Amino acid sequence: MAAASSDTAIRTGRVARAGIYLFLLLFALFYLLPLFVMGANSLKPLGEITGGNMMALPSDWTIAPWLSAWSTAQIGVEPTGLRPYFWNSIKMVVPAVAIATVLGALNGYVLTKWSFRGDKVFYGLMLFSCFIPFQMVLIPMARVLGLAGIAGTTSGLVLVHVVYGIGFATLYFRNYYAAFPTELVRAAQIDGAGFFQIFWRIMLPSSGPIVVVCVIWLFTNIWNDFLFGASFADADSQPMTVALNNLVQSSTGVKEYNVHFAGAILAALPTLLVYVVAGRYFVRGLMAGSVKG
Amino acid sequence: MGFLDIDNATKSYGAVEVLHNVDISVQEGEFLVLVGPSGCGKSTLLNMIAGLEDITSGEISIKGRTMNGVHPSKRNIAMVFQSYALYPNMSVAQNITFGLEMHGTPKAERQAALGKVAKLLQIEPLLDRKPGALSGGQRQRVAMGRALVRDPDVFLFDEPLSNLDAKLRVDMRTEIKKLHQTLGTTIVYVTHDQIEAMTLSTRIAVMNGGYVQQLGTPKEIYDDPANLFVAAFMGSPSMNLLPATVRVADGRVAAEVDAPGGPVSLALTRGADALRARDGRRIVLGIRPEAITDPDGADRGSNALERIEARIDVVEPSGADTFVTLALGGRDCIARLRADADVRAGETVPLTVNMEKATAFDPDTEMRIG
Repeated sequence: MAAASSDTAIRTGRVARAGIYLFLLLFALFYLLPLFVMGANSLKPLGEITGGNMMALPSDWTIAPWLSAWSTAQIGVEPTGLRPYFWNSIKMVVPAVAIATVLGALNGYVLTKWSFRGDKVFYGLMLFSCFIPFQMVLIPMARVLGLAGIAGTTSGLVLVHVVYGIGFATLYFRNYYAAFPTELVRAAQIDGAGFFQIFWRIMLPSSGPIVVVCVIWLFTNIWNDFLFGASFADADSQPMTVALNNLVQSSTGVKEYNVHFAGAILAALPTLLVYVVAGRYFVRGLMAGSVKG
Repeated sequence: MGFLDIDNATKSYGAVEVLHNVDISVQEGEFLVLVGPSGCGKSTLLNMIAGLEDITSGEISIKGRTMNGVHPSKRNIAMVFQSYALYPNMSVAQNITFGLEMHGTPKAERQAALGKVAKLLQIEPLLDRKPGALSGGQRQRVAMGRALVRDPDVFLFDEPLSNLDAKLRVDMRTEIKKLHQTLGTTIVYVTHDQIEAMTLSTRIAVMNGGYVQQLGTPKEIYDDPANLFVAAFMGSPSMNLLPATVRVADGRVAAEVDAPGGPVSLALTRGADALRARDGRRIVLGIRPEAITDPDGADRGSNALERIEARIDVVEPSGADTFVTLALGGRDCIARLRADADVRAGETVPLTVNMEKATAFDPDTEMRIG
């Protein structure tokens, strides 16, 4: 190895290299510190936290705080744990992500391959929706949900998140499809494929990377949303984030920090999982959409 | 009334007219090549035949049925695109049969048609591969297979060879020609490469600036170019266009061309009657490089060989021929000598000009005289 490395054109000194690795290691440790604190403290009995050191490893390992956070902890007035709210979140996120992604893909397809008069303005307006602050739409949206009869339901939350998600989904897909050869669409037209046949059979199967980008982005944002969940959900449709807040902010009884830590990790796990599974496509997809075209 | 009729077709984008009153009638089994520089409207015309672009005025009809407003898939045409446009997510077999599937052909028939086309194009081993795993030549074959399997009335080719490297392009050119001879199909083929146009076509439409400059057989286009544009565009190296003056003396009509050693007089045979009336006026004399040769290489069958002396500026041996650059008419003039012609730059050598192949043009209207 030594012989090979001395042949390379650009050589870095041993000392400099050691310095770089040391520096990287320190930063990695620094960024991992919060996760360590959460993990370590979620695995000890409460007494070890209140009477001891936040940075220490548990001396008496236990998974009781995790079980408590999942199924028995007091959320607001109900001792249900986070479990029902976790499912609420899933029931909200999955349809919202799916609908917003498909609609965004359709928009991108129409905006690039079926251009019409004023499509640029239309696209600009869609992009504009990405930059409207959430707080601004709270009251109009409450009115819309009320009129539609879906206030306080999971369907209402899905609608809100789809409306917000379409902007970004359209942005991603339009840029991706702009680099998609129009000749393919023309060939399919001559072959006799219709609007939706071209979309399902030719465009979508070639959109893997950008679908991953879009799903990760929407999933993370919708899962982590607190404002809409707190504003528009009833007790039986509240998402995970609101429940976590209710768990941590409870003003009665002893503050069970170990349970809080476990709950916080539970709330973050799905997004973490999405990144681990699809993360390597994320960077690739971002590049594919932005560099070309 | 032809097989494919383009009748007074015009295309405008807003107020800008890009294609002006095109009239072409294609017979069944003909191989029509639309050739011209970028932006001449050839691809627009092809897309109008395909139905991918609307026709602004005029009419396009296939087999006597008007195609205005008919959807591309209902015109019974097939198109091969420059980028091949193979569906990247489908296998070769799926690519070829997609059109049949969309037209509701039963699976057994699709498989039979696929087998026939795959055999014809020798792509049977590739049927399960994805387009990404094919070479350029193989993709080209698959794209042709996709067109062939439909058994259309008219094949449209949009610069199908321009993405291939030089050697493969020549091979595929021959294959396309062979295919046309075997199947006897009607083809409209767009290219900017005048050699492709000459070798493949039964007729050529030379286009420029949205006008059809000339429509004719390759020989007509090459030997009797209608105007200066066609003369300069077709042929490689291109035709020498020399400024000259008409001189009529003792019944002999000649073109006087400036040369470093004093003016050279070349007797005109083609269009002589029309030129007689232009005594003393300027013309542009068009002579193809192969009409200027060393005396031994001259065409023995010609009755109008003129001998001139010229100084050679540059010698470019190409293997099969030796191209030399002369100073004639105040500009560079290319002559094609035999491969082993013994000439050196700077020498003054005797050359023979075959005036049977020379064409005169009016410098103002740019049209051929006579």
